[in-house]
Amino acid sequence: MAVERPKSPSRLADFGLKSERVLWPDKGPSEFEQELGDIEQQLGLTTLEKAIAWSQTKSMWPDTFGLACCAIEMMSIVSSRYDIARFGMEAFRSSPRQADLLIISGRVAQKMAAPIQQIYDQMLEPKWVIAMGACASSGGMFNNYAVLQSVDKIIPVDVYVPGCPPRPEGLMEGIIRLHERVQSGIPAAYEIGGVAK
Amino acid sequence: MTFEGVPGLVETREALGETTLVVDPPRLVEACTHLRDEHGFDMLVDLAATDYLGWGSPGVSGYIGTAAGRNLNRPMTQGFQALPAPKPKRFAVNYHLLAVRQGAPRVRVQAWLEDGEPVPSVISVWPAADWFEREAWDLMGIPIQGHPNLERLIMDEDWEGHPLRKDYPLGGEPVRFSGEE
Amino acid sequence: MAVARPPAKQDPIYEGTRIPSPVPTVLAVDPAIRGTDDLLTVNFGPNHPSTHGVLRLVVDLDGEIVVGINAKVGYVHTGFEKNMEQKSWWKAITYAPRIDYLAYQNNELVFVLAIEKLLGLEIPAKATWMRMLLSELNRIHSHLVWLGTAALELGAISMFWYTFREREMVLDLSELVAGYRMHTRYFQTGGLAEDIPPGFYPECRKFVEWMPKAISDYDGLLAKNEIWEERTRGLGLLNRADAIALGQTGPVLRASGVDWDLRRDDPYCFYDRVHFDVPVLTHGDTYDRYRVRVEEMRASVEIIDQCLDRLERMDGDPWISDDRKVVLPPREELHTSMESLIHHFKIVTEGYRVPEGEVYVAVESPRGELGCYVVSDGGARPWRVKFRAPSFAALEATATTVQKQYIADLIAIVGSLDTVMGEVDR
Repeated sequence: MAVERPKSPSRLADFGLKSERVLWPDKGPSEFEQELGDIEQQLGLTTLEKAIAWSQTKSMWPDTFGLACCAIEMMSIVSSRYDIARFGMEAFRSSPRQADLLIISGRVAQKMAAPIQQIYDQMLEPKWVIAMGACASSGGMFNNYAVLQSVDKIIPVDVYVPGCPPRPEGLMEGIIRLHERVQSGIPAAYEIGGVAK
Repeated sequence: MTFEGVPGLVETREALGETTLVVDPPRLVEACTHLRDEHGFDMLVDLAATDYLGWGSPGVSGYIGTAAGRNLNRPMTQGFQALPAPKPKRFAVNYHLLAVRQGAPRVRVQAWLEDGEPVPSVISVWPAADWFEREAWDLMGIPIQGHPNLERLIMDEDWEGHPLRKDYPLGGEPVRFSGEE
Repeated sequence: MAVARPPAKQDPIYEGTRIPSPVPTVLAVDPAIRGTDDLLTVNFGPNHPSTHGVLRLVVDLDGEIVVGINAKVGYVHTGFEKNMEQKSWWKAITYAPRIDYLAYQNNELVFVLAIEKLLGLEIPAKATWMRMLLSELNRIHSHLVWLGTAALELGAISMFWYTFREREMVLDLSELVAGYRMHTRYFQTGGLAEDIPPGFYPECRKFVEWMPKAISDYDGLLAKNEIWEERTRGLGLLNRADAIALGQTGPVLRASGVDWDLRRDDPYCFYDRVHFDVPVLTHGDTYDRYRVRVEEMRASVEIIDQCLDRLERMDGDPWISDDRKVVLPPREELHTSMESLIHHFKIVTEGYRVPEGEVYVAVESPRGELGCYVVSDGGARPWRVKFRAPSFAALEATATTVQKQYIADLIAIVGSLDTVMGEVDR
């Protein structure tokens, strides 16, 4: 379906999604980028808002929230091979008051749901949530009485990263997508909609 | 090693290289003390409770062979329904014991209980039994008599039911497929 | 060669027993202090930075000294045991490694050994050697993560990056063999799921050459470090009798002077055919537990070396049993043999059946004795699976080890018990 898309030099599509360009330098803007560009135009982002969004992504500090196996892979993105310090995110804050990003890494037991809700509520806005792994995204292989079938039943999630556990590169891809989402002006999940029902 | 002197011993079974001593529940503490002091089983390694509700119901095709192995040359015998041997009561509490000395002798002490029948706590024999018994109470609903702190360990304090029982549903959600709405 | 040597004569770590009573796992506040203004109750909630998972400790402090502690667990209860009862034996193996997610290979090993014991199945030698090799690699992996995070909590932050560098090498080897870094699901009933890919042995050799130097690096950073010794020596004492009474196994037991290692004293696989040292220390404190784990890493490298020697001569040997009632037939046979096709179909759809019985198998995981109690009713699904988690017992020892210690030392002591909450809560 051919749609006339107006060309403006400051759309995100012109800067290219970094994750794809690394492997495919001459790739034109993808559907995702074009849609982001359309949203940018509709929301009418100003340069100041773009600057704020840019700076939010450049030092988005995660909360030390590891639950189970995915936490081990989350720890390995801090290690030197998958270095997350390049993104300014190696400062994992223990206090949710100081954290911007909550990476739910691991299966969420019913007993843990209340503490997660408390921690999410204590975080200051703007805040984002990444559901890492199959268990946080949908309950994973544990479709039973003990595991909450997806953490988005209690808190709104921005990015879901599949895998059991996802490779560190997979989690990085999720984080980079989150950065691109923020930079394009898409509001954080708590502003768009509530939790899943 | 012979276990004739163990108080409350009902039966001794040997299978797959393991010894199981079936003990009368009211005399469990005596039996455990005897095993610890006379036979040297100084470590309680595990306490596993099993629910045998629905054991041997038809529909489970039996395995063709014996616990000693299978004879690969035996002609095909599909269609035979070998039901498992019936169990005396609904619950079995298994205490796995280990003697920390050469040869690593192990023994399993088994007590059979009905629903609601209590079993005495062996915390005075091995302090390690504390959390294991709390877990047996929490997940299987086995009342432990004489436990100083019998509270739920794994589930929430106000959880109802004992999840690992066979009549407790697995729970979870039905998976939705995008084809059907 | 399993001779348990009697411990050398030494001064007892402490006299008598320090296990609190009446409840061994709860350190109750002395009634004299209760109700005074100095007493402060602090909650180390399920989410805290020096976390080894989601452990909640309710701690009573008199000034800075711990006078009461109560550990609350269950925050990552996943219902493994109930889930495994609903799946066929094949699929249940997939659940096992996620229980103790740092020593995943050992979980798979113990469950698969239990199934094979019930079946009475013979495993080809190549599979057993490879299982041993991967279990020892996993032991190194687990101790590396433990060392990195334990040092991180006490402030020796740079250790984290050094240990995780070697951890990446171990995970590369894992990926080379099984295609996945963690939770490989490579152990199958009857042997291994696939043959060992070519190119693995040279890579593993490189790792075996490199690792002792890396361990010396870690020693150079921590072993004689004055601050590390101040923070770990003489803390968290646990004597021999208390350790056995509390059901401790693994490094916690060996650091308390008990010469006990299941690989040597109750051998499984081919551990009786390899030579390795079992480090045993006598002070029962946090420093000794740290030293035992570092020395275990060295011993594991020795074992891997010996396994490689055997495996390199076994190219072309079968990697899985050929009992077609349990193991899938090779794909080439499906084109020509009707029986193979039918067995393939039955095994994949219904699953193989395991004879009626109950069995308890134990292996030496990096945390201690990991046991698996399996009850089968003769059908295609397990009737009951219970994992005996060493961290479960280790957490029972918190009340005994942190008595009268400072709150800063509480972190060091709980860290030295090396608990993984996934296996505590299952």
